[in-house]
Amino acid sequence: MNYGNLFKYWRTVLVVAEMSLRTQFSDAFVLFAIVFQPMIIAILALFMLRDKGGDYAMFVVIGSGLTGLWSSLLFVSGNSINVERWTGTLESLVGMPTPFDVIVFGKNLANVFQSLLSMVVSYALAAALFGYSLTLTQPLLFFATLLISMFAFICFGLTIAPVFVMYRSIQQWQNAMEFPVYILCGFLFPIALLPDWTTPVSYLLPPYWAAIALHGTSTADMPFPQIAFSWGMMILFSIVDLVIASQLFRIMLYKARVDATLDVD
Amino acid sequence: MNAIEVEHLRRVYRAQIGVFNRSIKEVVAVDDISFDVKQGELFGLLGPNGAGKTTTIKMLTTLLIPTGGSASIAGFDAVKQATDVRRRIGFIFGGERGLYWRLSGDDNLRYFASLYGVDPAVSKKRIPYLMELVGLKGRGNERVGGYSRGMKQRLHVARTLLHDPDILFLDEPTIGLDPVGAREFRSVILNLQSQKKTILLTTHYMFEADALSDRIAIINKGCVIALDTPGGLKQHVSDLSVVEVETFGTSEEALGKLRKLPFVDALSVEDREQKQMLLIQTTRGAEAVPDVMNALEGQRVGSVIVREPTLEDAYVRLVGGAA
Repeated sequence: MNYGNLFKYWRTVLVVAEMSLRTQFSDAFVLFAIVFQPMIIAILALFMLRDKGGDYAMFVVIGSGLTGLWSSLLFVSGNSINVERWTGTLESLVGMPTPFDVIVFGKNLANVFQSLLSMVVSYALAAALFGYSLTLTQPLLFFATLLISMFAFICFGLTIAPVFVMYRSIQQWQNAMEFPVYILCGFLFPIALLPDWTTPVSYLLPPYWAAIALHGTSTADMPFPQIAFSWGMMILFSIVDLVIASQLFRIMLYKARVDATLDVD
Repeated sequence: MNAIEVEHLRRVYRAQIGVFNRSIKEVVAVDDISFDVKQGELFGLLGPNGAGKTTTIKMLTTLLIPTGGSASIAGFDAVKQATDVRRRIGFIFGGERGLYWRLSGDDNLRYFASLYGVDPAVSKKRIPYLMELVGLKGRGNERVGGYSRGMKQRLHVARTLLHDPDILFLDEPTIGLDPVGAREFRSVILNLQSQKKTILLTTHYMFEADALSDRIAIINKGCVIALDTPGGLKQHVSDLSVVEVETFGTSEEALGKLRKLPFVDALSVEDREQKQMLLIQTTRGAEAVPDVMNALEGQRVGSVIVREPTLEDAYVRLVGGAA
């Protein structure tokens, strides 16, 4: 895709996001992935860290929100392509004049938006169930980071979607991709606790920089240059992801039309 | 310029078989198909299951890459200029799939209108018009999951007309519809035909193809075996009459005797609940009836009719449902 298309098709992106939200809010599995699973993770983490105080509670709230964000991208975005294949709509979408990656961008926007609910749920849970008074240390920078993080997650999700278009059996690998990212990106505990050799891998994952900046602006007084560096890394990775996704979509869609994998027949 | 030009189209599917000793199995779905469709023409594509009809349509609608040959739609190459082709075509694959069941009918249309690039102000007027055209007026705010099969098929038609395409591909659009629903659907197709839309239609129902099509191509085993007007195709069996015999539980032995009769050109058996209809193509017309009755001696026989051949009889002869 020429990413100027995102501006040309902004209205389509919003309609796709709206319809995805409408469809997914009536799906019990999606509600589990974005509401109940982060809730369970938040309760477990809050119990384990209950003697560590309010800052840790906020760390858990942000961390469990990030788990919801990643799970939503991995399962809902990936699954939605397989569901579209099974319901026969994948062919209709690919056969549209709108580039398919614009459609996936809209779907990812919906997923990222709805997974913010995970954060709100965790926040409410920490406040109501454990009585923590939760405050953001740098609210303005936190919300700016949240916006950049959402964009970075959407772009990261775009690199995954073409693989789901091409390979019908990719679902088997989804679970294996979920927890390593939770751990390597420091969603629920700092990566300093991991062996040193994992650190370069973490640096290569955009959600890691999102986690650093979100934790740093919510529970700590992270200096602005460090926050800006994380923003820069997220923007850099987003650009790289868009370039990679553009090529992957072109190759995978062509291959799907050669191998006849757009439908289940 | 023709609306659709197909030259030596070929499509081979490759499937991997085996777990440890993996090998590639090739299946030729479309071997060598060529035809043209004029602008404003309703062109029928007939053939038995597995003949290559759906594969052909999927190649023409840019959803499959041909293994060989070429296809041009509205002057654009179906592979190299896929986006230009997609702007000018609409397509329906028969059945209930291809819609968002959790969304309402109106929301489905709003979604697809946006993907077709229809201006929101235009789609706001066009959606109610199309819902009325396909007989779904007043049902647009209901979830598609609650629609009957016929309603879903009609919503497919509305979906495919959102961007007012010049060329329509309808792959077995009336499959599974009840007779009333199918008749209503055919009237929608006739309405589109009157608007000078170019339509490529595949169907298993011969009377439907006969009634709607300007020209028909019959394909079998991935090749075009006949291409003509419905009247022209019927000429293939103009020397024949058809003896229709209603029977109840005809034995294989009796059918064997019938097949051996020298004047029987083709015999097909249609099961209709507890009875069977034997369709015997013969050059002897009514004179064949006494010998047919002799061959069926001892069988329970109902009505016997001798009639002129139809498109279906021509089709049976061409695709090889012979005795």
